[in-house]
Order: sequence, then C-alpha cells, then structure tokens
Amino acid sequence: MSFVVSPTSVDEAIAFLVDNPEARPMSGGASLVAMKNARLIEASHFVSLARIDSLRGIRRNADGSVTIGGMVPHRDTAACDLLDGDLRMIRQAAGQIANRVVRNMGTIGGAVANADPAADYLPVLVCADAQVEITGPGGKRLLPIRDYLVDWYETALEPAEIVTGIALPPAGSGPSVYRKLARTPGDFATVSVACARDGDGVRVAVGACGPAPLRAPEAERALAGQLDDPAAVAAFCEALVALADPVDDVRGSAEYRLTLIPRMVAAAIRDVTGGL
Amino acid sequence: MKLEGSFPVSAPRSAVWEAIRDPGLMARCVPGCSMAEQIDETSYRAMVTVKFGPITARFNLVVEIEEEIAPELVRSRTRGEEGTRASTVSSTNILTLSEPEPGITQVDWSTDFTISGRLGKYGLGLMKKKVESLSTEFVQTFAAKLEEGTEAERGTA
Repeated sequence: MSFVVSPTSVDEAIAFLVDNPEARPMSGGASLVAMKNARLIEASHFVSLARIDSLRGIRRNADGSVTIGGMVPHRDTAACDLLDGDLRMIRQAAGQIANRVVRNMGTIGGAVANADPAADYLPVLVCADAQVEITGPGGKRLLPIRDYLVDWYETALEPAEIVTGIALPPAGSGPSVYRKLARTPGDFATVSVACARDGDGVRVAVGACGPAPLRAPEAERALAGQLDDPAAVAAFCEALVALADPVDDVRGSAEYRLTLIPRMVAAAIRDVTGGL
Repeated sequence: MKLEGSFPVSAPRSAVWEAIRDPGLMARCVPGCSMAEQIDETSYRAMVTVKFGPITARFNLVVEIEEEIAPELVRSRTRGEEGTRASTVSSTNILTLSEPEPGITQVDWSTDFTISGRLGKYGLGLMKKKVESLSTEFVQTFAAKLEEGTEAERGTA
C-alpha cells in the first residue's frame, strides 16, 4: 500500500523525502505508475510534484539561456516557441514521445530522472549541452547532463534529490534535427540521433546505443569545415560507432543498431546542412 | 545467459585460494553484499542488494559448492530469491585459478545464469551489462584487497 502526498513547494517535498527514505518523488507518473502496477517498484509514499508551481513553465533568462521547469509536460515543450534554432530538436523529440496521453502526463523532469537510455529527451539534451538542475537537502546544483547520466538507468541523483529543471544554453541560429527510428510511432527508439549545426561544424548525440547518449567531441572538431566531404562524414560516423555499446532487445539487435548509427547520423547531418 | 571473464591478481595462488574461501572477505568484495555466512561444509548464505535504476532488489542467496580442487578450481551453484517480490535467480559457476608466474594469479570465471520474475522483465541484454559492471567492480575491490594483503605480508617479513 502506498500513499500519495502532494506538497506545494520544493522544500516541502524534499523535507518529506528526507523524513521518509522509502518514499519516491513522482512527476507525471507516466512511467512510474506503470512500473508500480507491474510491481517493479515499491514505495511507502509517492510524493507528487504536480502542485508545485515553481516547477512549471519554460522561461528565457536574462542571459538568453532557457530553463524548462521539471514539471513541464512533453506537450508544452513540443509547442514552445522559445526552443528555436539549434534548440528546435528538443521540440521535435518532445513531440515524438509515446502518445498524446503520455505527452500530456509525462514531464521532462520525470523523463530525465528515469533516464531510460532509449528516451527521446536524452540525445537532444546531450546534443544541446544541457545542464540538469537538481535540488535536494543540500540546496540546488547544476550538473552537465553528460556527468549526470552515470550508467544504465543510473544517474547522479542522490536520495531526496529532485530534478527541478533543465537549463539550456542560449539558442544558436543554426538548424537542428531529431531523427528517431522506432518499430512503430510512439515506441521507444531503436536508435535516435540529435544533430545541431554549430558554426561550420555539427554537434551530434546518438541515443539508445549505450547507457547514455554517445557524443564524440574530438571527432566533431575534426569534422568542422568538412560537412560536405562524404569521407569526413563517414569517419565521423565511425567514431560514434566505436563509442557505442548497445544491447540486444525487442527493438533490435546490438548489431542492427551499429548498422543504423552511420546511416542515421549521415542523414541527420544532411538535414542540417541543406545548403551545402 | 552465459558470461565469463578473467583477471590477474598480484598475489600467489595460495593466497587467492584462501581469499575466495573466506566468506567474510568475499562479502566485502561483492558489490551490495551485506552478509555472508557459512551454513555447513559446502554451503553459504549471502544477502545481496542490487540496484537497477528505480528498482532495488534484495536477494537471499544460497551458494552450494559442488566441486572443489584446491587450489585451482571451484564449481558452485547459486540459487536465490527476493524477500518480498518474486524474482528468482539461479546460476552455475566455475572458477579456476592458475599461476602463470610466481606471485601472479590468473582468475578465470564463467557463469550460466537465469533470472525470472520482475527483474526478468528487463531484457537479458541489459541484465548482462549490469552483471558486467558489477563484476568489474568486484574484480577491482578483490584485487586491491589481495594486493594490499600481499604487500602487508612482505612488509612484515
């Protein structure tokens, strides 16, 4: 038997989690309730974050950076005009999560806290160099998402800590794209690719092919200025394949995923270099 | 699912053999192991907690030694289940020790394990990654403890 409590402030939620070590924070509940019903998880209490106003809304800060509140549902992220240019891929990813019901319930904070390696948000956030805003008993901290994602389903979240927001750098003017290959629309990705134009180069993150999205910063630097050179693009794709550590699962074999990476990355690069 | 691995330890084979037969020491090396005790001549009981994303599973395990050739081979069988929720694991394991050069022991292990119940809902692919990362953690702790012990011995000699 578990109980749901609905605090109205982050401090109240954290205090409750500190006092009840077997309690779990719950955002939209899209995954968590399904896991509870499947008896995968148990909790003394579910601490719903739904009534905490400070976790709502997407805002542009004075320095141009954008903060998405932890409780912003995918539906709102998918429709947000602030996410333009090289942040536009985040809207595309949000709009491709599961189905309409889940997009109405599920939140970015919940998705990032759950950190499913095949989740749509992770590659776009890694590609955007997002930071995860974490609040806990010790206060607030910002962690680059690449440091936040520790291992398969493992994050840097400590007990009683909550993902209170996602901080994005100011939007660049370059185009960006999220490409997802799934067995059927709304399924988790077999492989997903986020790609953003950055000056004469690209930033690329590949999802569902390891514990966290793959990113090859050195190869990105090597590719700059050579986006129209097929050999350079092929070498870049190989660098990403070398980083991949996919598993066999119902969505595809590890080998199939390795075959998909170069094709999808090359296609995503073409998407953001239309004029070349 | 079958898994295997091998790793070297900078300690003589006799020391490694003693270590793997010491439930207290093994308990300190196995990630998440909170208790290990000998039940009788050939069996042990252990409590191991495995955290897998949002899931925390506490397993009560019984390890039965089926064959033992000192100081080079142990064949064992592990069975266990979670206290409250139905996940069961079972495995057959083989561990061999060789000493390719004096003071260096090569440990080779293999296991064939099955898991069912709620943890079985995660694909075996992912389970394999978890086992791999746990075994890496074990190897590091185990090797460090033994090498520490060997050095301490040298220090007092």
